[in-house]
Amino acid sequence: MTRLGTGIALALTAAVLAGCGGGAAATPTAGAPRCSAKVRAGWQQLANRIHAPVYCPGWLPDPLTGVIGSRDNNINAVSKDRSYLESWVWQETGAGAAGGELHVNLRGYPGRTTVPRCRNADNGQAIPCFADARGTKRFGSIVATLYTVNQDADQWHVAYGWRYRGSFYTLSEHVAPPLDYAKVVRYLDREVRSLELIEPQ
Amino acid sequence: MRTFTRRQALAGAAAGALGAAGVYELVDRLAGGSPQRAAAGALPPEQHVLDGLRVITDNGVEVIVPPLHHQVVTGKVAVEARGLRDAQRALEDELAKLDAKYAPTPSGLGITVAWGLPYFERFVAAQWRAHAPFDRRAERPALLPTRAFPSDPSDTVLERNDVAILFRSDSLAHIAAGAKAIDALGVFDVTSIRKGFVGGGLPQKLARAANIPGADLIPDGAELFLGFTSTQSQGLGPRKIANLETLGYADLGPASYFREGTHMHVSHIAEDLEAWYLNFDFQLRVDTAFRPHLHVPDGTQTVRQAPEDAASPRSVERDYRTVRTIGHSASIQTSSRLQTDHVAEDGTLYLKGTAVPQRADFNTLDNPFFWPADPASQPQAGVHFVVFNPTSDDFHRNRLAMDGVLPDGTKLPFQPRQRGQGFNDVLRTTHRQNFLVPPRRHRSFPLAELTA
Repeated sequence: MTRLGTGIALALTAAVLAGCGGGAAATPTAGAPRCSAKVRAGWQQLANRIHAPVYCPGWLPDPLTGVIGSRDNNINAVSKDRSYLESWVWQETGAGAAGGELHVNLRGYPGRTTVPRCRNADNGQAIPCFADARGTKRFGSIVATLYTVNQDADQWHVAYGWRYRGSFYTLSEHVAPPLDYAKVVRYLDREVRSLELIEPQ
Repeated sequence: MRTFTRRQALAGAAAGALGAAGVYELVDRLAGGSPQRAAAGALPPEQHVLDGLRVITDNGVEVIVPPLHHQVVTGKVAVEARGLRDAQRALEDELAKLDAKYAPTPSGLGITVAWGLPYFERFVAAQWRAHAPFDRRAERPALLPTRAFPSDPSDTVLERNDVAILFRSDSLAHIAAGAKAIDALGVFDVTSIRKGFVGGGLPQKLARAANIPGADLIPDGAELFLGFTSTQSQGLGPRKIANLETLGYADLGPASYFREGTHMHVSHIAEDLEAWYLNFDFQLRVDTAFRPHLHVPDGTQTVRQAPEDAASPRSVERDYRTVRTIGHSASIQTSSRLQTDHVAEDGTLYLKGTAVPQRADFNTLDNPFFWPADPASQPQAGVHFVVFNPTSDDFHRNRLAMDGVLPDGTKLPFQPRQRGQGFNDVLRTTHRQNFLVPPRRHRSFPLAELTA
């Protein structure tokens, strides 16, 4: 089994108009970094393109930038159902402290509040893309569920998932050196606190 | 000034490590005291039988509560062949003193002295040829050279120790006293010291204390790092079933020298907790730990392992064909459970589906050993796997089944450590060795009394 996230495919699922997810618009919690103008521009374009709110990261672990279209933005994908995957990755080869990987995914599934389904690579069965929920946490207006077993581009990631106005959103980070599970959860907490809601214009 | 040879320096370091607790000192603090234990009767003729084990019920399933602390000390014989009989007397005297001081129970001290093929071949070769038990079913000796298995990494060390001594107790002090008393005889050079623990809730607490990656993912109360209970009483062999003679597998030779003995396999297995808990959701963990399509309430740790639940080669093969996954327990059960009723020579009836192996495995944070320890290595979640089977071949059959090589000859075409093998995907065996456990009466340098 590899620790690198191997799948990059979006979970392409027909959009289902579900009930309202509720919740207030997110702003970074007090003291958290805010989405900079440089980062915001790409996220505003994404919100406009999918006609749905998106979440702009005010902080990602250095050297990840959160800028859509930057060198570290290895996946910038929108599917027919308007769901999106934005991914930033940094990799350094080398033994011990000399090497490592940072990989963060932000996803949105406009118009659905259910957890999407993925394909089990071993046997083709449909399985939840985000599973093994381990409780919820409140970050300002976001009430997020922690998922520890995730699929496709989020495989071997820990993910937070939450609902807002009838849509499902996730933020995940890869558990790989130099980070272990406990450190990834700490990073995710900081990342979710920094999220800023961008409405389509 | 007194100078020390390297051998003396190593021996001194090992002696210190025998009495040291290290991170395992936390076990006593975190366990909140030793469980209540039953009293023991007379010393059993078997060395591997441990009396006074408590049985509790969890999730409606009978579970055996093993001793809190475990330690395996391996070594090489440190005396010349001509001194073997003196060494035998010295060791037996010391073991008898320990027997008198500590009952063979968790509240006392269980000691099992097991001997490797290098001992028999190097020190008592002629006597071994005359008295070595022979596995009729396998048509091979009951004690076989240690081998690797398909899912073992290429760098798994197949060890060649002369002796392995297993200590089991609720008391670290009892284990330290026993290990130091035997070491003080000077009849062995210690080659490794392996320590660990068993107990509900301890894996998570110890892993957190040792900063093991993924410690927070271990369920509260779990008996093992991988989250499930493994000491269901129906999953462990009854008292005498692992004896060489009970199931009739072994021809004991002209004098039945090793009657009431058994076979012991010892291995160290590193466990990648993050791989297990981040890649297998709960249902998949149940599927691969037990069997596919087994439905138990979310978060269940103790799953029934009754004889009627035992899998067959056909059901395991069917699982593989339908979902490309086999359960760890299910695959092993194809060879570890009796396939038919069996009446032992003492008249005991063992029903079809009864478990044969008696496991004595324990959680560890050694990487891979407590001693010698690499100062640069970090604690690591793992298991020192200790199991008693009637013969080496019987253990080999079980271990091969775990890799999809079933006892009826069926080979499920897994790649080494493929995800569908569940546990195998997150386990990495670092060391292995087979040993023979003589009966208590011959536990000290077996066959030495027959040398000229």
